[in-house]
Amino acid sequence: MRSFAYARPESLNEALALLNEYGPAATILAGGTDVVVRLRTGRVLPAIVIDLKRVPALHADILETDTRLRVGARTVMADLVADERVRSRFPALAEAAHEVGSIQIRNRATLAGNICNASPAADTAPPLLVYGAVVNLVNATGPRSIPLAHFFKGPGRTAMERGELVESIDLPFAKQRQGAAFARATRRLGVDLATINIACLVKASGQTLFAYGAVAPTPLLVSDDSGKLADANCGEDEKLSILENLIAHTAPISDVRASHEYREALLMVMSRRVLDAAIARLHDQEGLL
Amino acid sequence: MKNHRFTGEPPIRVGGVERVTGAQRYAADLRFENVLHLKLVHLDCGHARIKSIDISDALKVEGVYGVVTTADLPQPVPRFGPTVMDWPLLAVNETKFFGEPVAVVAAETIDAAQIGAQAVKVDFEELPAVLSIDDALNPEMPLVREPELRPGDKFANTNIFKEWNLGHGNIEAAKSAFVLEHIYSFPMVTHFAIEPHAFIAAPDEDGVTIWSPNQHPFVLQKVVAATFKWPLSRVRIIAPDPGGGFGGKGWPLYESLLAFLALKFKRPVRLVLTLEETFQNVRRASARATVRSGFDAAGHLTFQEVSTDYLIGAYAAVAPRVVSKGSFVAGGPYVCPHVKIRARAILSHTTPSTAFRGFGTPQGSWGVESQLTEAAARLGIDPVEIRRRNLPKYHEEFVPNTTPCDGNWFEVLEAAADHIGWDTPLAKHRGRGIALGVKSSSTAASSQAMARMLFDGSVLILTGTSDMGQGARTVYTQLASDNLGVPYDRIRIVMGDTNVVPFDNSTSASRSTVFMGNAILSACNDLKSKFHDLMAKELDISADEVEVDSGKVKIPGRTMTFAEALKVCLPTRGEIIGLGTYSNPPVEGHPLGAHPSFWEFNAVATELEVDPETGTVHLIKLVVVSDVGEALNPLQVEAQDEGSAIMGLGHSLMEHMVHDKHGRIVNLGALDYRIPTIKDIPLVMESVFIENGDGPGPFGSKGVGEGGLLSIAAAVGAAVNQAAGVSIRDLPLTAERIWRAIQERSQHLEEPGKTQDSGLQADMVSR
Amino acid sequence: MIATAAEAVRIHLTVNGEERSVKVLPHHILLDVLRDQLGLTGTKECCLQGECGACTVLLNGRAVDSCLVLALEADGGEVLTIEGLAPDGKLDALQTSFLEKGAVQCGFCIPGMILSAKYLMKTTPHPTREEIQDGLAGNLCRCAGYYRMIEAVVAASEAKP
Repeated sequence: MRSFAYARPESLNEALALLNEYGPAATILAGGTDVVVRLRTGRVLPAIVIDLKRVPALHADILETDTRLRVGARTVMADLVADERVRSRFPALAEAAHEVGSIQIRNRATLAGNICNASPAADTAPPLLVYGAVVNLVNATGPRSIPLAHFFKGPGRTAMERGELVESIDLPFAKQRQGAAFARATRRLGVDLATINIACLVKASGQTLFAYGAVAPTPLLVSDDSGKLADANCGEDEKLSILENLIAHTAPISDVRASHEYREALLMVMSRRVLDAAIARLHDQEGLL
Repeated sequence: MKNHRFTGEPPIRVGGVERVTGAQRYAADLRFENVLHLKLVHLDCGHARIKSIDISDALKVEGVYGVVTTADLPQPVPRFGPTVMDWPLLAVNETKFFGEPVAVVAAETIDAAQIGAQAVKVDFEELPAVLSIDDALNPEMPLVREPELRPGDKFANTNIFKEWNLGHGNIEAAKSAFVLEHIYSFPMVTHFAIEPHAFIAAPDEDGVTIWSPNQHPFVLQKVVAATFKWPLSRVRIIAPDPGGGFGGKGWPLYESLLAFLALKFKRPVRLVLTLEETFQNVRRASARATVRSGFDAAGHLTFQEVSTDYLIGAYAAVAPRVVSKGSFVAGGPYVCPHVKIRARAILSHTTPSTAFRGFGTPQGSWGVESQLTEAAARLGIDPVEIRRRNLPKYHEEFVPNTTPCDGNWFEVLEAAADHIGWDTPLAKHRGRGIALGVKSSSTAASSQAMARMLFDGSVLILTGTSDMGQGARTVYTQLASDNLGVPYDRIRIVMGDTNVVPFDNSTSASRSTVFMGNAILSACNDLKSKFHDLMAKELDISADEVEVDSGKVKIPGRTMTFAEALKVCLPTRGEIIGLGTYSNPPVEGHPLGAHPSFWEFNAVATELEVDPETGTVHLIKLVVVSDVGEALNPLQVEAQDEGSAIMGLGHSLMEHMVHDKHGRIVNLGALDYRIPTIKDIPLVMESVFIENGDGPGPFGSKGVGEGGLLSIAAAVGAAVNQAAGVSIRDLPLTAERIWRAIQERSQHLEEPGKTQDSGLQADMVSR
Repeated sequence: MIATAAEAVRIHLTVNGEERSVKVLPHHILLDVLRDQLGLTGTKECCLQGECGACTVLLNGRAVDSCLVLALEADGGEVLTIEGLAPDGKLDALQTSFLEKGAVQCGFCIPGMILSAKYLMKTTPHPTREEIQDGLAGNLCRCAGYYRMIEAVVAASEAKP
């Protein structure tokens, strides 16, 4: 590994100042499960690595208010999976977080890091998108928030600007009953990157959201407002047609994991399955918001 | 688990405590003073012409001690190899596989070596790379091996390294009710032992000591000595227990290069490969087999014609042996009047293939076993029944004029069918498959052992076996303890140093329990015999008045412990040394050099479910039955059988090395080369052994360890066929491949009049 | 604090209950510190990507891949390696059960496997088969069929303390 300088700021201001000073020559380090691999392969060659783990404002807790759960920048996947509130109110996110790597990875990898990495195949992205997550950023001039739906710009690219950090991620509580589910396809049953992943959220109003991963340059959020997908009286063919139209927004490619034809086929099969699971969860809810 | 052969409980695995406490020292854990760390320099493509190498920047890196290219090596550049000495220490003029080194950097720290390696500038020209069998046989593609290196070789101007023609009878004379012919492919896979390769060499007077976690230290010694034309006595191999071998740590790699560097630098040198470099250096030969099988109306084989091309890579290494040995039983464990086998070793610009558990047999069994199951469907016969009709009986020859069937193979088959519940109803989307595998163990080989009884009656057993997890130390402790009557904790097994232990051919071919086990018993008996004679002589009594047995020495009127007796017969102190040998002698003219010492025979049965919409396979049950003769340590036998089967699931369902057009391995490393994890195992697995005491090893034992892997692919393939109605003849059976086959089948069924591939589906669905 | 690329910095960590102190450069990883500077070679190096688990240790009480932790990140932290499980020679229940159930073959994956199992039993004292598979999913083994590891964890969880 090529060497680099290392900073361990102890305040947000210090961290932001360092970021501003070094710009693209700095690499942020939170959990390290992606960064350290890139440092080793030379995919990133920073002048300085900025370790955020001693910045108190970038905490590792999940804080609750009336309207939302706020996931701290340093919250690791394992803690998301274990948190009762996440499991009951955002089960698709807990499921997805559970699929990220192994327990060794989940004990280090942060949710914030996962979204900043902006891999099109990030497992947490689809549920975050259907749950309407909001990213709270901070920079030297102050905070700003972006809906996650506007956060991913391309493979490995986000809407973050130079000198910005993720401070937290908000999971807004639903205003109506809803059910959501997550599914992924992999090459083996054990730890694996997703061939594709999908989250689906169905609201009591019938509005249905899908978010797809690994089938476009970024995780993709689409919505069907007809209400037909959740309507038991609606015919199968019509539902399939709606699903096809939604899937038409994706652009799966062929790579070492799968061909684009297979990904297309999986999209349809898994859309149906994850839709059914989301509807089942919607019906299971007993007024829980 | 009760060990019925020996009295008392078997010992906890010898070396086990060290492994669970972290005390076990693997090669990369050894520390050396004044060592130079090495890093190989290799190119980012498979086949290239080296134009020039500029090491000036590398030499300027702080900590770099030296950079070696072919210019620094003796000319012509030394080459090594166990069959043909063709593999150069560093690439000569051209690199012939992705990962072949063109230079090596030596530095005081690993960091400096890495930075130095990155600073070496190689001017090269990428050349077209032969990456497949079709590439190799295409006359417009380059020759991998220079014709000048192959004088008098009829294949010199081709990429065929060698061809073997085996078999018996005359297939033209066969009369068949029907004939099946298909082409099967077996992928390129890599061993992925969890321990990457590591090598150290240090100068030792005018010779070298080499540390390498090598399965066959005496082969390594021979190869290194031959590379430099040294006497064997100048090369000492110390072989720490490997962290997994599977054949990948059997054959020489960088030891000769390190030997040269150690003597050049006059310092110890150390090379630890990354996992990626390990993948670049060891793999199984991939293969394509055309199998043509004839059957009579009752399902008896009338002929088998098997033509297999093995893609062996850039240098011969041990591939010729893999191909010839694997092909010897290409027809499978069946009685068949006419068998024609043609096998070819095909060169390519890829990693040289090496030994890998199964040694050429899995590649062949995939086709032959799949074909037998298909024939059964065609005939409306049960796949178990068709095998019953073709298996040889006890002592019946199936390959003429050599070792006959040496086990009750029917019993193995029945046990597999029974344990999988072969005749029980099957749920929707589920399938079952069964397959048999046979492999020749060692042919011409020998093992020697030494038993040293020290003055206090404790014992050292010196043996050249490599304990790479199969538990050899434990079994040898049991054998010696049982024979001598010395407790386990007063016996130590010494391995892994050619200066200390006597000769052993190899740790391969599942041979060690038989060959070395017998050699150790022979050494113990020799020890007792010498003890006996010494006592008689010292006490001046006749030989039949002395008894040495079960830890005691009895003479008229007195019974002594070994320690007491030793004091009597060794008045100036000393020890008693027993020597033992077990060998299988060469047979002139035999295609394998000698008759197989025994057959390793195994049956695999599996039940699985296929998700018809995604092609995903869920393994419900796996049964592995081995004909073991006598399980000297049942726990270890089971552990090996399970491991072998799960490893076989790898090439059956998920493993294959993928190259891009530049000859680079695309899925290089643990991220994209998928092996089975703890979540990928079948819900239920049973390991069964058949013990008829009919092996040549101690107490009628045979060798085990390769069994399940031999034929599991065909069992899985047959089950997928039944579950999803598709015939796939290429491994691995990934979800996508299964899905595609299901799509193609649906298309065909929707378009009447299009003939199906084999007509199999209609038959299979009905069962 | 800020460490430059070229100057080694002293870090302090508690390893297997003992205070240790070493000098490291920023690009040094915890795995190498343990193996090379502290002589604790029980933790193994394999994939260096966080895929195989051979380098698993407990860092501040959590199972992590030590190949993905910069040494500086472990400054002030607590590390448990395989050598720390049986400090006075008395084997941990997991070590005993791994041996008794025949889960140990070549042994290279075992230190990481046992530490992952140790962590699992901390959070889930009586894990189901599925929970064991989940907890050990990040530890690859090539020798064994994994079944014995599952049995070993079950046996350890049932053992009397």
